[in-house]
Amino acid sequence: MLDKQNKYTGRRIRSSYFTTIISISLVLFMLGILGLIILNAKQISNHVKENIGFSIILKEGIKEVDIAQIQKSLDAESFVKSTHFIHPDSAAAELQRELGEDFINFLGYNPLLSSIDVKLNADYANTDSLSVIESNLSDNPKIKEVFYQKDLVSLVNENVNKISFYLLAFSALLLTIAMALINNTIRLSIYSKRFLIKTMQLVGAKSSFIQKPFILKGIGNGIIASTISIGLILIFLYYLEKQIPEIIDFNNIELYGALFLMVIILGILISWISTILAVRKFLRMETGNLYY
Amino acid sequence: MIVDISSATIYQRDNQVLQNVNLKIDSGEFVYLIGKTGSGKSSLLKTLYGELALKEGNATVVDFDLNTIKRNKIPFLRRKLGIVFQDFQLLTDRNVYDNLKFVLTATGWDDKSKMESRINEVLSSVGLTNKGYKFPHELSGGEQQRVVIARALLNEPDLILADEPTGNLDPETSEEILKLLVEISNRGKAILMATHDFHLMEKFPSRTLKCENGQVVDTPSPKRKNSGLQTEITEERRSGGENL
Repeated sequence: MLDKQNKYTGRRIRSSYFTTIISISLVLFMLGILGLIILNAKQISNHVKENIGFSIILKEGIKEVDIAQIQKSLDAESFVKSTHFIHPDSAAAELQRELGEDFINFLGYNPLLSSIDVKLNADYANTDSLSVIESNLSDNPKIKEVFYQKDLVSLVNENVNKISFYLLAFSALLLTIAMALINNTIRLSIYSKRFLIKTMQLVGAKSSFIQKPFILKGIGNGIIASTISIGLILIFLYYLEKQIPEIIDFNNIELYGALFLMVIILGILISWISTILAVRKFLRMETGNLYY
Repeated sequence: MIVDISSATIYQRDNQVLQNVNLKIDSGEFVYLIGKTGSGKSSLLKTLYGELALKEGNATVVDFDLNTIKRNKIPFLRRKLGIVFQDFQLLTDRNVYDNLKFVLTATGWDDKSKMESRINEVLSSVGLTNKGYKFPHELSGGEQQRVVIARALLNEPDLILADEPTGNLDPETSEEILKLLVEISNRGKAILMATHDFHLMEKFPSRTLKCENGQVVDTPSPKRKNSGLQTEITEERRSGGENL
């Protein structure tokens, strides 16, 4: 009978911690998912940006050695992601297919020149960098023209900027909500112990002695909660991978490691700080005010 | 001298409740503190254990100067005091043994076997041997109050402050608790006990202080069949009862 009662009391105390931990881990899970979106948004925007490129139209009668040399020096540049040489014949075949007309027979010769398609690294895919690159390349006597769509480049950048701004604003909002929620949950769980805290003070315990177990518990709860939330994120990723495999780049393990580390640090930090603030508040409160 | 207060004014927040308080208590003295509810008994006790700051006058309690005591020194003052409350104030989330152990670890004990023997010592001195495993809610009011007294005794305090320790107990249990407190005072500890229980005071007469009209005055202890005092007592009890 007594044992049963003790067990019941124990269970009640544990279950109150359980709810706190679950609330914290759900909030952290939400933050983690947002982090995933942000990480992959970068991925997606990079993907779009890296498909932006320009074409270098080479002068007529250029030697194969010169072409190879230009391509090689381009490949060595930091702004270049990849280069692709297009022979006039293959360019003509492509154009012919698009037009549906045999224009070489009609003209009697192939008017197209050799060209190199250059794909840029995401960091350089903006109008400023492109105009610098363009002017540098135009100085080369073997290059006739550098060709790219200015509008497309600025349009892509504008949209990416807009979307990242909203995403960031949304994350800031969510982070604030998360902190408020966790802070509130912890405050409530410590509020329920305010009389214990007062009693501890009355029997001569120092403030630091009273705080210690609460803080340790807070940090422990933070660790457990962030572990649970990482587990949830992994489950989420597993099902996402099954449904839409192309959306997430699973090769970037380090990035995910950093995300999980962030979740753990955030979980510990938020519950640590909230615990200290809440306990300190009740330590300083007069007995009479505890009843409100 | 355990308590030495001279021309002190006691405030509850910004309200002055007692003024020109002069009070001396020697070691081993048993002192009752009576007065209507709201007359300042609790405020006086709270001032003695550092819950309320002393703003005017001089006071030393167990060698601590209440005028100059800093916030972070108050725990050390309380370690020299035993405090007993009407509503017990036990740590409800742990059993009796751990309640007492908490006090010992909080006040700097670290030898496990010494702690255990001290806990058993105080528990047996209040007649609660073998009840250490019980949670506070599993004990009767009288037993809980004994635990509180045991807790107050842990660090061999020179002064025990009791704020209506029998206020929540039936007459028989109250008498047992009071016997226990008297016994403790006979062992050389000073006790200042706020109370409304005039039956007990009749049975165990001792020095009595009264809070009245914003003053603390020594007053004769109520005696049996003293009609004049008796009426005052019933009045007192009635007004106390209303406010419970």
